[in-house]
Amino acid sequence: MDLLNLNYEKYKLQNGLEVILYRDNELPIVTANIWFRTGSANEKVGKTGIAHLFEHMMFQGSVNVPKEMHFRFIQEAGGNLNGSTSTDRTNYFEKVPSNFLELILWLESDRMGFFIPALTQEKLANQIDVVKNERLERYDNQPYGLAWEILISSLFPKNHPYSWATIGSLEDITSFTIEDVRSFFEKYYSPANASLVIAGDFDPVEAKELTKKYFSEIPSKNHFEELQIKPATLAENKFIVHKDNVQLERIYLAWHTECAYSEDDAALDILTDLLTGSKTSRLYKKLVFEQEVAQEVTAYQFSGKFAGYFVVIATAKPGIMLTELKEKIFAEFENIKKNGINENELLRSKNGIKSGFIYSMQNIDSMADQLNSYNYFLNEPNSFNYDLSRYENVRVENLLNLFEKYLSKPFVELHVIPETEG
Amino acid sequence: MILNRAVKPTPNKNILFELPQIEKFRLQNGLEVLFIQKKKLPIIRLSLIVNAGSKFDPDNKKGLSNLLAMVIDEGAGKYSALEISEEFDTLGANFAVNSNHDKIYLTLQTLTENFDKALELFCTVVTAPHFSDEDFLRQKRKTLTHLLQLKDDPEEIADTVFSYVLFGEENPYAFPTSGYDDHIENISVDDIKDHYKKYLTPDNSTLVVVGDASVKELIEKLDYHLGWWKPEGLHFKLNFNTKESANQIFLVDKKDSVQTEIRIGYPSSRRNIENFFSKLVLNTILGGPFTSRINLNLRENKGYTYGASSSFGYLQESGFFIVSTSVGIENTANAIKEILDELTKIREGITDTELEFAKSFLVRQFPSSFETYRQISSNLTTMVIHSLPDNYFNTYLENLQRISIKDVNKAAQENIFAGNLSIVIVGDKEKLLPQLTSSNFGNIISTDYIGKATIK
Repeated sequence: MDLLNLNYEKYKLQNGLEVILYRDNELPIVTANIWFRTGSANEKVGKTGIAHLFEHMMFQGSVNVPKEMHFRFIQEAGGNLNGSTSTDRTNYFEKVPSNFLELILWLESDRMGFFIPALTQEKLANQIDVVKNERLERYDNQPYGLAWEILISSLFPKNHPYSWATIGSLEDITSFTIEDVRSFFEKYYSPANASLVIAGDFDPVEAKELTKKYFSEIPSKNHFEELQIKPATLAENKFIVHKDNVQLERIYLAWHTECAYSEDDAALDILTDLLTGSKTSRLYKKLVFEQEVAQEVTAYQFSGKFAGYFVVIATAKPGIMLTELKEKIFAEFENIKKNGINENELLRSKNGIKSGFIYSMQNIDSMADQLNSYNYFLNEPNSFNYDLSRYENVRVENLLNLFEKYLSKPFVELHVIPETEG
Repeated sequence: MILNRAVKPTPNKNILFELPQIEKFRLQNGLEVLFIQKKKLPIIRLSLIVNAGSKFDPDNKKGLSNLLAMVIDEGAGKYSALEISEEFDTLGANFAVNSNHDKIYLTLQTLTENFDKALELFCTVVTAPHFSDEDFLRQKRKTLTHLLQLKDDPEEIADTVFSYVLFGEENPYAFPTSGYDDHIENISVDDIKDHYKKYLTPDNSTLVVVGDASVKELIEKLDYHLGWWKPEGLHFKLNFNTKESANQIFLVDKKDSVQTEIRIGYPSSRRNIENFFSKLVLNTILGGPFTSRINLNLRENKGYTYGASSSFGYLQESGFFIVSTSVGIENTANAIKEILDELTKIREGITDTELEFAKSFLVRQFPSSFETYRQISSNLTTMVIHSLPDNYFNTYLENLQRISIKDVNKAAQENIFAGNLSIVIVGDKEKLLPQLTSSNFGNIISTDYIGKATIK
């Protein structure tokens, strides 16, 4: 599709920073989006959460930007900003009126190159408090809020980089020192370990000059050793019961799959849609619509740089046993294996994915982030058409193979039940 | 040349932003349409805004309009519930029905190439819903289970209780859109049909369209599909009072909570052109963006929370002021004290620097609020809900620029109060009571999850 074939320019500064330029002059706004190729996968047991805490520290100012002023300068320009940490990467982004491009490049380069001298114990102590509250608010105090952590720590072996949550454990979060923050920065926050996307309304000549002006003097650091992760497997099924302050019981089933962009990655995504993506999807229709044994059901496929997993989550209607939901989920798997998948079902999923690609192009921030994502995983920012073709090429037999290859292997079964029970 | 990084770069040129043109027209049946043409992508987004929100729910049937929204797309015209969903999915179109206190929204997003078919389906749902017993009962059971689940969510509880104690029992904005379980038990499929017939009419609705289409094309297609959808000539208006009270703490016990949800506020003026902009600038300084006073104090200075904010909420026929945050249990009383101090302090006046910052933030972010189809549609929706003048967006920046420090300080005097507050706290009562009684913020009333007082 022509619409998905983007014109862009990509080059490298001498210090190794990758720069990707993508112009879209529809509105007078411009965004900068930086990916550092590090995330919670680079942490160690006992130091979980450092990548995310570090992301917070990056908003606490740098040599030429006092505390709070990073936010203030961008908001004064009418911009918005944020960052996020995942298992594999940490991103930082802001969107401003296009005449403020230089401002955001100045800010991003100052914290990429001149962060450490501005780091203080006071700032760290404050952000440890903030992140502690973030964890308590968004995980511990949420219904079913700890389920994910329990699930992944059961699915992966103890030292596997996906076995802990990105937010980190409360104990680890409170233990971090200035030295932890400093050494994380020295190891992973090198220009050679980052890529910068500038997207929106800008003059390419000017953007290149500004990028050179602000980023080229930042020295690159020694390259760290890439993680070597063996594929994780489960020897046998694991069964866990967790009590929580909730009204309804919920079951989680999780299997190992494969890394992002591997052979079956797209088929697994389509399978989640066929199972629970719509009212007519297999599990939704049976469990929620027809039999009303579940209030909701979701299939989810995570695929990252080092591993992947497939999860089915179902919340039981009052009085329904989780074992019954489990049986019905597996019965539907058997039904699909035996009777196959209708071409129309597959077509509906593919049509949804195709229009989803176009809907996602409305927003320059998400375009910039996607360009960085393709660059990170595929080394080619203009991969929208390739990505779409991965889905369009999935055939019924690819989907049926997934059951044998992944979903008949050992799995983790987690039951979250109300505290008052048992 | 050595780069001097100490100097903050400033822009050397201005930007040009052209506001999209709003087209307003009526169909033959009287339905008003607001349309913005946007051709960037082959997308059309369409939203029918029906004046049928939960504020119209009868006294003993709270939850009726939400249930109507839940069941309207469960079968219509020649399609069953599953077939409607299947048809939209085949087109790769997104269709959703939502409701709040003021309105029911039916929203469609589709690729231009599938607009005709998607529009036909959309109009079928609007004009010919089945409301079969079977579909109704299934959605009713689903809603009842959903209400049960809401009891798990401390944020949801805090918001529900806040509305209830803020507006008081006589006010239709006091009740949650999702309703109450004993009320929902009362609702029959005939109630749904009557409600639909009375409220879902072209003269009680507005259609907002954004995307790759033309006025001529829209009029033709909409007249064709909605021609036999007829007005009823009914008009709905509500009258009610808001209450005033002394500082009161409403404490909801959620045992074993590890955080405390806090909501503090009071009723405030509904949206009007006279004070909207001064209140907007005021709140930008007090509790809007990240660098506002409340967030910097509670998060970046004290470390009590992941975030704290304030806002003026605007309902169609009412308004309120609210501060919300979630804090560690041990800092609950401290956080409330800091919030009350901020409310007192802002009444003492703001600085020129704060005014310039707030105006700069609001003026410069204006173009980016017209970026996505959803944003443009939501801007038009705001115009509809609050009956804003046609030139609202054309005069938006002038109206902001005009705000002086005097205007903001006046707005603070008139709209920010550090007394007569409703303070809602959701958390572990046993751990919270000692802090709250010794801080003496006001009378403590224990309530249940929907805001009704339990024990004195």
